[in-house]
Amino acid sequence: MAAGGKYWVTLTEPLIRKNPVTLQILGLCSALAVTTAVDTALTMSVSLTVVLVLSAGIVSAIRRMIPDTIRLIVQIMIVASLVIVIDQVLQAYFYDISRRLSVFVSLITTNCLVLGRTESFARNNRPLPSMIDALGNGLGYSLILIVIGAVRELFGTGKLMGAQVLQTVDHGGWFTPFSLMLLAPSAFFLLGGLVWAIRSIRPDQAEAQEFVPPHAEEVRR
Amino acid sequence: MIRGLWDRETVAILFLVALLPLAATWLSHAGWAGAIRLLFFLLVAGIWHLVFMLARAQPPSFAGAITALALAMLVPGDLGVVPTLLGTSFGVVIAELAFGGWGRNVLNPATVTLAFLGFGFPAAPWPDMIVPVGWAAVPVAVIGVFIGILSLRILTGAGLTFGIGMALGLDLADVWTAVAVGLVLLVCDPVASASTQLGRWLNGALFGALVALFVAHWTEAAPVQIVVSAALIASLAAPLLDEAAIALWLARRRRRLG
Repeated sequence: MAAGGKYWVTLTEPLIRKNPVTLQILGLCSALAVTTAVDTALTMSVSLTVVLVLSAGIVSAIRRMIPDTIRLIVQIMIVASLVIVIDQVLQAYFYDISRRLSVFVSLITTNCLVLGRTESFARNNRPLPSMIDALGNGLGYSLILIVIGAVRELFGTGKLMGAQVLQTVDHGGWFTPFSLMLLAPSAFFLLGGLVWAIRSIRPDQAEAQEFVPPHAEEVRR
Repeated sequence: MIRGLWDRETVAILFLVALLPLAATWLSHAGWAGAIRLLFFLLVAGIWHLVFMLARAQPPSFAGAITALALAMLVPGDLGVVPTLLGTSFGVVIAELAFGGWGRNVLNPATVTLAFLGFGFPAAPWPDMIVPVGWAAVPVAVIGVFIGILSLRILTGAGLTFGIGMALGLDLADVWTAVAVGLVLLVCDPVASASTQLGRWLNGALFGALVALFVAHWTEAAPVQIVVSAALIASLAAPLLDEAAIALWLARRRRRLG
């Protein structure tokens, strides 16, 4: 039971409290690029989670055999091989989405999130906890991606998963598509707002102030 | 900075006083519709200032009224309530209040709102600036410079660039009213503009050069759109220009004093 509880904590901690995107600000490049629609965000999330879990398992399984001096090369090799497999699967079965995701699936190789988890956790833990930790982080990343993707698709086009939810003005409805949502800056705004909201609810995540403003009496002199 | 009478609020109130001729001229031409628009923006900005007073203990500021005036004059007309509300909230909260309120912001909230709406709803028609409103910017500039709110260097820098542009054959006849209004309302904002002497010259000149560039090469752009885009980029560059001016000053000092 105690071990089960520990695994549960390892799995759920990265969802909000230690979320890799909003707390550690990792994996932003893809999080911003693929969230114009929910289906691409979902595909990207699944791909990243699968790569993350498998690579964490493999790295953890051979962690005693990897020489320390070349560990990054070995880890990247493992991640890259998995990414190639995922990319091929997507091209074979989901060609359309794979084309819309373009280079970002291949770029999972260089995603700081994947390397961060293998380097900091999987290298020092047994395979099962490593994979659970990887799954938790993958789900945390997916959660943010899907939330931002849903907001951008809903307000940018009035659709969700390609189905019309809000009737646009062009089709006789009331909703004016907000095209800024489909441009890259809106992802920054939304992510920033999300980080702000989470850190307002959990002030322990906020970083220490870089400098303290002088007291009003001192300024008055 | 608080020096004697001068604190953030004094600057905001005096800026508002300097803008009165512009507001009066615009209101007398826009009529009741304009008054209702102004009231709407005052209400939205006021509510956000109130929210931040309750949540963060930031005192509400007259700067909200300046933002409201600029938005009432420059926001595209038939945009609908929800997009206008969204854009105004975005500008007022993200560009000003989130930074700690008037005086601590990097960009003018009205500029940010207008750019946001311009990118978000590219089809919305920008308002026209009529000639009397353009002329009303002149007393604003005179009062503002006299009471020390607006920088003469920024105005002169922009004016010189326009002079050079016109000597080279640039036609500003269509845009000059929007440029005059944008210059006193957005570019010369004492918070968002440069604050070193050289920086202010460069700030004004950069705004002028950007307007000239857009007028010459950005076809099918409305005058207000040109001015807002140029004001956004000039405000974004202002800290950089200040930094350059300070670096030059430090280098000169080091050379002189060893």
